[in-house]
Amino acid sequence: MSVLSFCLASVVIYSDRAYSASGATKKIVFWHITTDEVGKKMIQNQVNRFLKAHPDFKVEVVPLQNDSFKTKLKIAMGSNQAPDVFVTWGGGPFFEYVRAGKVKDITAYMNENNYKNRFVEAAFGPITYNKKIWAVPVEGAGVSLVWYNKEIFKKYNLKVPTTYDEFLNIVKTLKSKGIIPITLANKTKWPGCFWYWNLVNKLGGASAFEKAAERTGGSFADQPFIKAGEMLQELVKMGAFPKGFNGLDWDTGQSRMLLYTGKAAMELMGTWQIPIVKAEKKEFYEKKLDFFPFPNIKGGKGDPTSLVGMASSNYYAVTTSCKYPKEAFNMIQYLIDDQAVKERIDYGQIPPVKGLKFTDPMLQKVYNIVTKAKTIQLWWDQYLPPQLAETHKDIVQSLFGLTITPKAAAEKMEKAAKDYFKK
Amino acid sequence: MQRDKSAKLLQNLGLALFLAPALILIGIYIIWPIIMSFDLSLYEWDGVSPQKLYLGLKNWKDLLVDSIFWHAFGNNIKFIFLSIIIEMPIAILIAVLLDRGGKRFDAFKSLFYLPMLMSSVAIGVLFKYIYDPNFGLISGILSFLHLDSLNQDWLGDPNVAFYSVVAVICWQYIPFYMIFFIAALSNIPQELYEAAKIDGATQQQYFWRIELPLLTPSIKTACILSLIGSLKYFDLIYVMTEGGPSNATELMATYMYKNAFASFKMGYGSTIASAMFLIITTAGIFAYFVTRRKEE
Repeated sequence: MSVLSFCLASVVIYSDRAYSASGATKKIVFWHITTDEVGKKMIQNQVNRFLKAHPDFKVEVVPLQNDSFKTKLKIAMGSNQAPDVFVTWGGGPFFEYVRAGKVKDITAYMNENNYKNRFVEAAFGPITYNKKIWAVPVEGAGVSLVWYNKEIFKKYNLKVPTTYDEFLNIVKTLKSKGIIPITLANKTKWPGCFWYWNLVNKLGGASAFEKAAERTGGSFADQPFIKAGEMLQELVKMGAFPKGFNGLDWDTGQSRMLLYTGKAAMELMGTWQIPIVKAEKKEFYEKKLDFFPFPNIKGGKGDPTSLVGMASSNYYAVTTSCKYPKEAFNMIQYLIDDQAVKERIDYGQIPPVKGLKFTDPMLQKVYNIVTKAKTIQLWWDQYLPPQLAETHKDIVQSLFGLTITPKAAAEKMEKAAKDYFKK
Repeated sequence: MQRDKSAKLLQNLGLALFLAPALILIGIYIIWPIIMSFDLSLYEWDGVSPQKLYLGLKNWKDLLVDSIFWHAFGNNIKFIFLSIIIEMPIAILIAVLLDRGGKRFDAFKSLFYLPMLMSSVAIGVLFKYIYDPNFGLISGILSFLHLDSLNQDWLGDPNVAFYSVVAVICWQYIPFYMIFFIAALSNIPQELYEAAKIDGATQQQYFWRIELPLLTPSIKTACILSLIGSLKYFDLIYVMTEGGPSNATELMATYMYKNAFASFKMGYGSTIASAMFLIITTAGIFAYFVTRRKEE
């Protein structure tokens, strides 16, 4: 049976990939993680434009699920089966590959004809290592914002909060009306971490985390980290999150279902929420979806404009094993050329490209917030070395599960960081 | 004499020739990786970079005091116990009932075997929806029956998640043992039943006096299979809970996977894999001898 299903699976996969032109001899293998129908088609179209200009090439486009992609990439890299072009978020895990000599330095390509200047400056942070550029920013800004159902807010006469206290009042009101205030699917742990990171960011400012992570005079057991844990657990105890959130899976849409059905009112999620909601439930996107930035906390040190996330959410890198790096880089350029920028905006992204105008007011609003932000704190799990990131995510999930106290959680993380960096 | 010897040699050579392909494959794909992972367990390696750092036995020492590993091991033991006491009786019961029904129940044999035909990943995704405390089938049924108070946070509550997952795994594996026992039952000679019938045995006596005693060797084998399977179990747990929440459903294999592939600790992951190899092999050999001795 397993042989049969394997054959079936390979037929399915094969037919999915068999769209490249026949007769072409040079091949580029390209892995990305945009798996919704609209996005998949968009990327394919962009690749097709490259193929048209390069008839001697064929491109094997492989869309993969977010979390399985991470594993697959790692195994492929370790066993010298790496794709030629792959998607990355930059930061810690990506630099592991850079340090291992698996990623091609594309600084020279980026400087050619001043191509680099096309992109917003902030986009280069997570992919600059040793003063060299290792990937092209392609997919739009990804910052965490609180998405909410306009209709529910209107029905209960709720106003967009500017302070955390106002936000807590909204949670209380919604709770009393029998609506789940905040939807959350925390099986994969990072969606819950968004709460913790934003709280720390607002409480201690961006430097609190950076000092602790860089071991430059900060500690994960400092006050903002403990306080963030307390505030997070306060939310849990208030019943702000849906039943069973620690077992729900974001990848399969279990949190968004609550949002779409109106059972829950808010979700703290990245800006990729826009294309996803647009693709999954268009009328919800058009009539009910809106967002506000994470509210500021009274007495917190965080800059009011500060955000957690990144100016470009997905980057594309070329591997050193790629036989045609120049063309592979050129293919990536097709993913973010002028036509692609238009397509991406239609899709619901905010490309990391300078001087954009949007017809969709939602995108314009995000763009304004992102360009106004004084600091954008990179996702911790991308910033931290992978081993520490995993430990951290486990700890935050336990905080959500109320199986660890905020103080113990902060101390555990500090100990893990100490153990790791001492080496 | 000389001739005999060379004939024997030729025969042995022939045998070796026929065995060689299998031996080579087993060597390359089974034995060599095992040796490799033992070797890797002595290094600190991120799984990607060309350099490995030799640590000696440090990983093994760390493993001995790694509370999460031992917690996972404990879960494995709990899991062995639960799967044997749940799966075996139900599988035997179904097998006996289907066997008594004869040809009329053939359709049920196929029907009951269905869960075994699905891939674990598909089952995992399916049950993630079934267990969804907000939209899931179970919460739906409970609220239809006005039993909302029984609704649990099936996969998100550390105290419940383990049992929720075990229930799914039992559902998945009972069909396997069912077919296993049906095969064993079909080997019981018809004469025994006829003799019992003449003696005026009841249906219950059929079971206790004929079927169960003659099934015993199969049950022992099934228990060993279940034991080994439970010790190395991985896929469904990973899909449903990733070992969470807060390590509540962590098994040795999920913990190994996380270390090797999520945390970039390939060396330590290999140490866990090697420890699993030792534990499972020992348990397997032990179980084999215990059951064999009783048989004698």
